[in-house]
Amino acid sequence: MNDLANITSPNPGPALQAGPVPESSLRVLLAGNPNSGKTSIFNALSGARQRVGNYPGVTVEKREGRFRDGDVEVELLDLPGTYSLSSYSPEERVAQEELLDAGADVVVVVVDSTTLKRSLVLLAQVMLLGANPVLCMNMSDEARRAGQEIDTAMLEELLGFPVVETVGHRAVGIDHLKRAIARAANTPVQRSRLVLGNLLETAIDSLASLLEDAGLATTGHRWLALKLLLGGEGTRALRGAPDLHEVGANWSMALREAETRRRAIQSRTGLDVSLYVMECYYGFVDGLLRQVVRKAPREDAREMSDRIDSVVVNRLLGIPIFLVLMYAIFWVTFTLGEYPMGWLEWGFGRLGALVGSLWPMGSDSALRSLLVDGIIGGVGGVVVFLPNILLLFLGLAFLEDSGYMARAAFLVDRLMHRFGLHGQSFIPMMTGFGCSIPGIMATRTLANERDRLTTMMVLPLMSCGARLPIYMLLIPAFFPAHLRAPALWLIYMVGIVLALVLALLLRRSFLKGEDAPFVMELPPYRMPTARAVFLKMLERSSLYLRKAGTIILAISIVMWAATSFPRLEDHQVDKDLAAGTLKIVEPIQGGEGESSSSFTGSSGLSGVPVLLDPHEYQRRRTAEELRYSLAGRIGTAIEPVIRPLGFDWKIGTAILGAFTAKEVFVAQMGIVYSLGQTDETSQELREVLTRDYSPLVGVSLMLFLLIAFPCMATFAITRRESGSWKWALLQSGGLTALGYLVALLVYQVGSLFT
Amino acid sequence: MNSPSIQPPHQDGKIPNPGADLSQALEDYLETVFLLVKEQGFARVRDIADARDVKAASVSPAMSRLARLGLIQYVRREYITLTPLGEQVARRIYARHQVMTRFFVEVLKVPRAVAQQDACAMEHSLSPRVMDAMARFLEFMELCPEGTVLLEQYGRCTRVNHCETDCCDSCSPDGSPAASPPVSVSDLRPGQVGVVTQVEGRGAIRQRLLDMGILPRVRISVERVAPAGDPIWIKLQGFQLSLRRKEASAVLVAPV
Repeated sequence: MNDLANITSPNPGPALQAGPVPESSLRVLLAGNPNSGKTSIFNALSGARQRVGNYPGVTVEKREGRFRDGDVEVELLDLPGTYSLSSYSPEERVAQEELLDAGADVVVVVVDSTTLKRSLVLLAQVMLLGANPVLCMNMSDEARRAGQEIDTAMLEELLGFPVVETVGHRAVGIDHLKRAIARAANTPVQRSRLVLGNLLETAIDSLASLLEDAGLATTGHRWLALKLLLGGEGTRALRGAPDLHEVGANWSMALREAETRRRAIQSRTGLDVSLYVMECYYGFVDGLLRQVVRKAPREDAREMSDRIDSVVVNRLLGIPIFLVLMYAIFWVTFTLGEYPMGWLEWGFGRLGALVGSLWPMGSDSALRSLLVDGIIGGVGGVVVFLPNILLLFLGLAFLEDSGYMARAAFLVDRLMHRFGLHGQSFIPMMTGFGCSIPGIMATRTLANERDRLTTMMVLPLMSCGARLPIYMLLIPAFFPAHLRAPALWLIYMVGIVLALVLALLLRRSFLKGEDAPFVMELPPYRMPTARAVFLKMLERSSLYLRKAGTIILAISIVMWAATSFPRLEDHQVDKDLAAGTLKIVEPIQGGEGESSSSFTGSSGLSGVPVLLDPHEYQRRRTAEELRYSLAGRIGTAIEPVIRPLGFDWKIGTAILGAFTAKEVFVAQMGIVYSLGQTDETSQELREVLTRDYSPLVGVSLMLFLLIAFPCMATFAITRRESGSWKWALLQSGGLTALGYLVALLVYQVGSLFT
Repeated sequence: MNSPSIQPPHQDGKIPNPGADLSQALEDYLETVFLLVKEQGFARVRDIADARDVKAASVSPAMSRLARLGLIQYVRREYITLTPLGEQVARRIYARHQVMTRFFVEVLKVPRAVAQQDACAMEHSLSPRVMDAMARFLEFMELCPEGTVLLEQYGRCTRVNHCETDCCDSCSPDGSPAASPPVSVSDLRPGQVGVVTQVEGRGAIRQRLLDMGILPRVRISVERVAPAGDPIWIKLQGFQLSLRRKEASAVLVAPV
């Protein structure tokens, strides 16, 4: 029986799924202001069942999740946080389109209970949209502590849909919210109780019926009517709506009617329409609050936060405190990060040795080399920086959730603005010190397209975690001990200064235009919850780790192949050996400590064979192999181009690796000098560098690696986040050109003095 | 104790109107009973006498008459309560009283004590139609954005009697009196408070300001200024915002 039923089932899909088949499903949207704790509600509802993506065509984050409520499978969509649904920012347009799309069963409007007056305006707009809302009064604990008392039963009665109080970050009231969603889904709102006053409502109604009769809209007539009435930007957004393709006589009639109504409102009230509409929303909210607020919050509810601010954002102390905090984050990142980093290095070293030991000693099996040198070496080189990145992102997430980052943006906005950036550009740029990829993704918080692009373009100049091994290798090789710390500091500063200057140039050339407003809310300080901070940290760090797992893995293999093939069959060293001009001499017992250079340098009198120890012999062999390989040939081919910077073919070969991922440079240098596995602490490699290059080359090299070639992953993410190849190419090309110029200038000018 | 929303005193014709037959004194007594019942749940002759500042002896006959009209339940030495009809009538009288008082205080800007006294005197002699019209007018002045502006303007205008012909011309069209020239939020010093009179600018920036609740008649105080002098930090409607001076200059305020 059962089998038969399965076979004849017209839709076998759900039957194949494990678990009980959901009887019905709901689609729920989550709308709310930024800082309303919407994300915490989203997390509390959907738990781990979520995925983060992008809306097509725009750089707006799309967060989807699901949860099961009894027999009902609920599909949850987190709309971007907006203060209103005017159509100026991409976030607002996306939110509006999703709300207009008739697919949603319930719209949960999350509001910050401590700023009800402003927050409820969004609810009024959602009501006008004709949605089926649930009001979620979040942060209710904070409001109550401030002495605010709301008659939620009364509010629910006045609004005609469920009202729930929650504390999102502690997951309080989530069950109530789930029940309210179910209740709202079962008994949808029949007639909106939004009151906007006669004048506005008659205008909306007449336009709405016009739109409906003319077949210009299928859903949200009243909302579209209001947009039409507001004109300007709103109408333009409306035109893009899919319902309005057949524009024509009806459309121009609607426009004329809107114009008439607009004029009437203007002459009756003396206010322009957008202001009048806002007044009407606030009128509704005021009336509502007047009836449900039993007790207003105390005036001094924010006293504690204000007191902290009077120190932290003080005119004199503000900047010093900011600098100390930033320094503290970096200090913690690098000192605490050192320990787990050591463990990871040791672990990867052991792993490499273990895998290597599967082959007999001295084997030159290609597979062994691929696994040990290519994959374990390459991926391990990235993963060891994970502790640093985790710590940096932990600190940043903590500061963000506490509310300090908004203050920091306030403090630095003037400086950033002078260079054409935005106060809020500062957060992505700080993140960029960890890794450019989450940094570039964090530019989404910037509302203005030009600010976003400018920040994105210059962000690779923030020395990311992957530049650090390069600096750690090169600085001790070329600088005396007492100059090392200042040199590291200086190279970070050079990046920052170049980023600012470049941003200014961009805003004067490619990204000309009016400045975006800096109207930013400063929420009170809040104690971040461990859960929220960890989630944020993990989400960003995983971007870095994913890079290690995908791009770096692939590149490691490609680079390994490029340095290993084509294989050299007859080596010059062997020929010399056969001709007798070279001789291998075993070093004297116990002479391990003696540098092998005593042998290499001993090219005695003519006719006398050059003495080599077996190490040096091996080294020369592999160096020859490398030069013969594809990478070596490319490195040699570009040598004329990079010679003016002081680089030779070996550096050139390693730089090729750096384009794929900066940290590959170190490993690549090791391969070029055939020192086996190397990292930035490799003393052997440093000695070779000190021997072969002048400090000036070191400086030129560090600058070049700082500026030129953002890594492949950065290129890919810029392409995705900016939505066009143009910006990704401009970024990579522009920075490479700049890097070349700076290195050229430094090396050539420097050469005059040395 | 005054109800926040305005109830039109005259509702519809179906309700019997014994209030019309009441003398002024009886109306006052009924209102007193209503207020006492509302406050403490019951009324005693002594309370009524205290409230109206008369002798207890003159209260009893009035109570008897009200009871005969079916407006209260009154048995000697027991608590007095309102009948449903009595409550309806009393409510109407009370609402009229409220409307009058508010009209005097909020529209005519008369001190509250005087307003209450005159409301008591006038409430009995006005016809329901006029009361209704007054309530509607009051409601309009409260709800219409321009009405509130006008009221404010009227409140500030002290020279109506001596008004020259150009008095009204000197008021700028947006409602802010020319007497105190509007300044922008960016002109305020930290600690200063202003009431928004106008939000200038256009497009996205203006909409953003409006979205954040920066609207006429909203109080804004400047909390602090960034170390570099820009942006500024303001407080309004229970939350805090930062904005650059350039944006702040679009918000015109009347300093308080």
